[in-house]
Amino acid sequence: MLKNIQEWIILLSIFAVVSLAANWIGYDVMPLSALPGMLILVAICLAGLIIQKALPYKIPSVAYIAIIGIILSMPWMPGSSIVVEWTSEVQLLALTTPILAYAGIAIGRSWTDFVKLGWRTIVVAVFVLLGTFLGSAIIAEVVLRFQGII
Amino acid sequence: MSQVHLGIWKDWRLHVIVFLIVVFAEFIGTHQFSVGPGVVLLLPMLYALLIGLGLYFTPAVKEKQSKNAEPLIVLGVTLLIAKIGVVIGPSLPQIIEAGPALLLQEFGNLGTILLALPLAVLLGLKRESIGMTHSVAREPNVGLIMDKYGFNSPEGRGVMAIYIFGTVFGAVFMGLIAGFLATLTPLHPLSFAMASGIGSGSMMAAASGSLIGAFPEFENDIIAFAGASNLLSLSTGLYMSMLIGLPLTEKMYQLMTRNKAGKGQS
Repeated sequence: MLKNIQEWIILLSIFAVVSLAANWIGYDVMPLSALPGMLILVAICLAGLIIQKALPYKIPSVAYIAIIGIILSMPWMPGSSIVVEWTSEVQLLALTTPILAYAGIAIGRSWTDFVKLGWRTIVVAVFVLLGTFLGSAIIAEVVLRFQGII
Repeated sequence: MSQVHLGIWKDWRLHVIVFLIVVFAEFIGTHQFSVGPGVVLLLPMLYALLIGLGLYFTPAVKEKQSKNAEPLIVLGVTLLIAKIGVVIGPSLPQIIEAGPALLLQEFGNLGTILLALPLAVLLGLKRESIGMTHSVAREPNVGLIMDKYGFNSPEGRGVMAIYIFGTVFGAVFMGLIAGFLATLTPLHPLSFAMASGIGSGSMMAAASGSLIGAFPEFENDIIAFAGASNLLSLSTGLYMSMLIGLPLTEKMYQLMTRNKAGKGQS
């Protein structure tokens, strides 16, 4: 457990440094002003990872992490305005760039499998993703309009 | 992710390469071009993915780096989820208000069956098409198909094929079409934000990222709705395909192949 926590802290810190650089270059937020928000996010992740390990339930750690983030930032939570203000300096897109960079390196190994797929699979796959995306958007649109939200 | 492999942080080669990719991608910045009435956004994350993929085939990246990169995607997604959490918190009253839409759009995942299954059958695919089109083929769905039909079944091959495509190109594809469709169609960006949560962290990040790029005035709403929808998909996706998606696909497949046989060459 202790070894795991150490590993998580080091890896999350590496990830945070790369994201802070992306946040600076891509979105003009100085690393120092984004640092407090980044530390909060890292702390939320750590808390979620530790809770997942400590509790006997088989719930993925992302569920705990999302819930902790939501609770800390709810309007009626004391101190939530600071959490929201600080973390708003960390741009969502600055976090996605490193994720996809690691993903690109990782999926290289699936490339040979991909090449073997054949054109029919690729056509179907495009429509699988398109079908889900459009289907969900159309239902959401109808319900949101019906409720008068948009 | 509970079994994060120890010692990955020592792979400095990997982290330096990723750092350089990210710096380079962010320096290029966001670009956009129009195709007809729609706008295609090229975001740094898309370059980062493609550069990373390209580098895999150079001596810069070895098998070891590629293996070590995998748990880091998961760890990066936890940070992303934490960020989404703190955006959802303040918008909670709004999300509760939009709850019915959020819940019902989960059924939109069935759109893949209606759109892709007839196409797969038309292209001459047999029972592979069941595995291919019953869902978006993320990990829980792959598990479901393997469990029900076995790894070496046509259904199993089908679901793996879509899984591989989604893994390699899902994020790029969703990133490219999300902004494009949102600018092309009259549907509201918030509807597309909800649709972005299809149960894959990287696809959601790419799709909602493009939406933010195209509609910056809705940034926080897009993050909040996409994030809430993705959490919902992650928790309900398996049951959705187990109870509705897969039985419906089976039924439609039988119907379509019988019609085809009955009508002959019509």
